[in-house]
Amino acid sequence: MKAKLKTALMAVLATLAMTAPALAHYPFCTCALRDGSITCTGGFSDGTGAEGVKLDVISYDEEVLIPGKFGADSKVSFKRPDGEFYILFDAGPGHVVEIDWHDIDGVEK
Amino acid sequence: MTEARIKPNPHAGLPGGKRRWPFHLSILLLLMPALLVPNYFRQVALFSGTGGLGERKLGEITIGPWKAQLAEFSVEEPLDQGLAGHIKSFALGLEPESATHVKASYMRVGKPRTLRAAGAIFYGPPYRQLVDLPIPQRTEPGERLWLTMEGWDGSVHQASIALSEASPVTEAWLAKQKGTR
Repeated sequence: MKAKLKTALMAVLATLAMTAPALAHYPFCTCALRDGSITCTGGFSDGTGAEGVKLDVISYDEEVLIPGKFGADSKVSFKRPDGEFYILFDAGPGHVVEIDWHDIDGVEK
Repeated sequence: MTEARIKPNPHAGLPGGKRRWPFHLSILLLLMPALLVPNYFRQVALFSGTGGLGERKLGEITIGPWKAQLAEFSVEEPLDQGLAGHIKSFALGLEPESATHVKASYMRVGKPRTLRAAGAIFYGPPYRQLVDLPIPQRTEPGERLWLTMEGWDGSVHQASIALSEASPVTEAWLAKQKGTR
């Protein structure tokens, strides 16, 4: 009986191991304001980091205020610019995340 | 000397013999896949494209000089993708006369600021492309979905469709989310 149970358990585990993993990897980016400095953390939903991915701080009239790139820790920090702006995580065409300045954690709305 | 009394087997001669429960369990195991088969074939038809562009066809949409068919890929609420937020899929099929002119198509909730921020890109062959559209947390019911197309000649054209028309399920989900926020 024990041997049968073991075989059944092995079969279930083998079936689970053969399940196709999810292939999608969606970009994400979250930003927080602390002591006048904004830190953004980026990455992809499959666990991939954002090292080398572009992150630009852009004014509402489309002027790039701060061009940046994510570091090895998938973070990038910069001083909060004056006025209204948005942050663009840009991992290539169609793989972008936009964060409006009033959606930044810690910014007074 | 006493004779041992043997209990007669009421199931003798029947399938399963003495132990009936494994017999009944095996019937259940055979029935289970049969119950799941219709859903399986529906999923296969949806993913292979034999069931059309998507579960809910939205009809033809004109984007500048180009025309395409649009569909809600699956009539279900946006899927939670962890840190990436909630994702909703739509399908697009370019008309043959437009297919050779369109380089890329994008979709976004709300009007894009620039082509760089045009939203999520459609992937797949021109006649059946899919997009995994992020639904931002701040999305309000009544928003519009903006479709941006970039041509090989460098031209950019846009069109929009009300979210309530594109996906009533998503609109209802947003109203529910707003109530719980």
